[in-house]
Amino acid sequence: MIRAALPCIFLLVACSGDKDTDDTSSGADDTSEPTTDSGPDDTESTDSTPPTDDTGGDSGTTSDGITCDDVARANCVFIKAGDTSGLLDAANLLDDDSAIVLDGGTWAMNNALTIRSVTGITVIGQGMGETVLDFSEVANQVNGVDVIADDFHIEGLTILEAPKDALRIEDSSDIVIRGVEATWVNEDDSSNGAYGLYPVRVQRVLMEDNVASNASDAGIYVGQCQHAIVRNNTARGNVAGLEIENTQFGDVYGNLVEDNTAGLVVFDLPGNPVIGRDVHVHDNVIQDNNRANFAPGGVVAEVPAGTGTFTMASRRVVITGNTYANNNTADIAVLSGLVIEEDPSQWYTVTEDIVGDITDLELFADEDGVYNFRTSDVWVHGNSHSGSGTSADMSSFTERPFGFLIGVLYGAETIDTVLYDSIGESAHHPTDPAQNSNDNRICVGDDDGVSFASLNVEELLTQPLPDIDTVYRPEAPFTPFDCAGFEVIAPDLEAE
Amino acid sequence: MIPLLLMFACEGEKQTTDSETTTTDSATTGETGDGTDTAPVDGLALYGLLGWDGLDFTYADGVVPYELATPLFSDYALKKRALLLPEGTSFAYTGADEVFEMPLGTRILKSFLYPADLRAPEENLRVVETRVLTLEEDGWEAEPWVWNADSTDASFAPSGATEEIEVIGLDGEPLVIQYLVPQKNQCIDCHELVIEEERTIVPIGPKARHLNRGYDHGAGEVNQLEHLAELGWLTGLPELAEVPRATDARALEGVAVSALDAETLDAAARDYLDINCAHCHNPRASEGVSSQLFLDRATTEPFDLGVCKRPGSAGGGTGGLTFDIVPGEHTQSILWYRMDTEVLGEMMPDLGRSVRHDYGVELVAAWINGLEGSCGE
Repeated sequence: MIRAALPCIFLLVACSGDKDTDDTSSGADDTSEPTTDSGPDDTESTDSTPPTDDTGGDSGTTSDGITCDDVARANCVFIKAGDTSGLLDAANLLDDDSAIVLDGGTWAMNNALTIRSVTGITVIGQGMGETVLDFSEVANQVNGVDVIADDFHIEGLTILEAPKDALRIEDSSDIVIRGVEATWVNEDDSSNGAYGLYPVRVQRVLMEDNVASNASDAGIYVGQCQHAIVRNNTARGNVAGLEIENTQFGDVYGNLVEDNTAGLVVFDLPGNPVIGRDVHVHDNVIQDNNRANFAPGGVVAEVPAGTGTFTMASRRVVITGNTYANNNTADIAVLSGLVIEEDPSQWYTVTEDIVGDITDLELFADEDGVYNFRTSDVWVHGNSHSGSGTSADMSSFTERPFGFLIGVLYGAETIDTVLYDSIGESAHHPTDPAQNSNDNRICVGDDDGVSFASLNVEELLTQPLPDIDTVYRPEAPFTPFDCAGFEVIAPDLEAE
Repeated sequence: MIPLLLMFACEGEKQTTDSETTTTDSATTGETGDGTDTAPVDGLALYGLLGWDGLDFTYADGVVPYELATPLFSDYALKKRALLLPEGTSFAYTGADEVFEMPLGTRILKSFLYPADLRAPEENLRVVETRVLTLEEDGWEAEPWVWNADSTDASFAPSGATEEIEVIGLDGEPLVIQYLVPQKNQCIDCHELVIEEERTIVPIGPKARHLNRGYDHGAGEVNQLEHLAELGWLTGLPELAEVPRATDARALEGVAVSALDAETLDAAARDYLDINCAHCHNPRASEGVSSQLFLDRATTEPFDLGVCKRPGSAGGGTGGLTFDIVPGEHTQSILWYRMDTEVLGEMMPDLGRSVRHDYGVELVAAWINGLEGSCGE
């Protein structure tokens, strides 16, 4: 039978221009599952600061919870606990400049929460773990929260068991994702949804104080975006913890990325018109990322467990001030895109499709377009390293050849903390610094705990048994990889 | 969904004024759009345009039913389409592949219904939903309407609905369909193009190439385009011989895919992909741009069609495969895998398919197997 009974549509606009109605003021008190500020039971996922920016400086959220009074939008509707069809009707009949405030409690969703064709929308709950959108009964292939809208903010709620992506925001601008949890109940389950928090083709996005776990691809996935600040989030139990993909101008700091297959990664995919550049990865904790890869497929299934960070087909990336610990394969790998796609033509984009200004980037190009497989201008310095590189992921030669190669190469030896595939270098020599080129300008700082290896992967793959003695493993300062580095261009979240 | 009666039930309560005007004004007035003057069908909603007599739809005067040559698959639902132009208006023939530019106030009605047994599509019918597209000042507006269990009336349902529907399948076995009436915002997912940086909602079906076929309005079969021209709705129609014609699915009914010659197979498969996939997978739709996979009729570059192309963000939808299409090997092709699978989170299309369309899967498999080349791995 139809499961979309709606008692009365008029609840939708109950707060619209009329903030002192019973619905809005009584709020959380009316619910069967009242929101409380439970101290002792709080996990760290609920420790994040209550959302405040939308309230016009009024951060005095009381124990009564968030109401329409706390949200600076012209229109507002408060949806009582569990009124799923009221929520969906509200989302489908929004005016510009509106807020939906969600009561505490669990919402048994039967379809995605979608936002379309409107500008200036806030969806705000009573906090992660307090307001839970539960998609476990959805029988159709939809995302949890699915948005195409400029000036969209989502805060303070949990998105549980979404069939596809938990939160997908596509082709939009000026997005804030704050205090949102995206998770699935089962660990290591390849049938979990793909991405937790997924802004894709977004201009100007701020993601902070979020938690993403158990995604079968990436927990936090910033894809094809321009100007992204990603800070103070937690990603754990995912295949990839935090991904910055084909993204321009990213500032990624203060995040805790642990217990994923791979931790915090920066890369471009082939043939994408957003050429990644200027990503600053600093002051994150990236540890214990050794979870066996449980991705059902795709490029992410090729990632070896035990990877702290890799940057691949990337340019202008600075990795500094991070704490790396106990990532069993390697803390940091600097890789050419040709590692995953060896055909350069697949990395080609015609000039007219290119997004953003890339004229200052030194990409391989012909008169009609550019290739983005090359990794260049990567500066790794000032990170701390401990306990990593003890056992590479050798679980599958066919699926994860890079992990297998590293494992065979190093044998019982501890794997170097910073690995460079050397693809695209004009000269390589196992011992003589003067006979190694640094054409791609990979700069590695001489810090405590850092060891560096220029692998010359193309040569290794021709050897019957990869020989560690053919690898260039210089003593500090790693000449010629001891270059001075550069400043990344910071993201600018001010709307144009 | 929102029973119309509740409009009155809630009358007198406070806080109701806004919503009445924003959500139900046109439904209550019975008006049919700018300047049209149609007789409402007694006792029925949907702007008085559409009723159901238990066997077939009853349309108000002036509403013209039509069919598409290659219809979009929607969980084996039967579909009935109809068009209404405001009196005295018309639209011009602008080519075979573009959706007609309809006049303001145009309405398109698309109803979805199920027979108890898919092998007997004329019997024991139940209407599930009707989607209403109306061309307003700021573009097409899409509305889902859900019918009651007796198929006697429909109600505007902005949040759509979900329903488990059980029918007898084409193979004679029970078939359980997780039917989704899209919520209003989900209509956009299949109907939105980005044209000159503006998001624009467009209908999918009403292109000349899809309408160029016969329809019996009661006095024998006539060509639908000629019928629209006779009504004065369509101007500038060239000689029919000059109008391209999409593969007529009716002509292929009962013909085994294996019996199709190469040319017919290519045309049928490309038309199938065009109507079923290209509303998202085209260079002007968000999902098309994100995935860089373009399955519209106008795309000819093999890589853009998915040949030896790695998926952008297919998640679990790859089935462990590497390329969207591997020529000659449908079982190695993600495109085929996502059409074939019934695993939630891996299927394509996203909406409107909870079960496999056996014929479409077979058709696309044969087409892939007929492609030449290899992906070098």
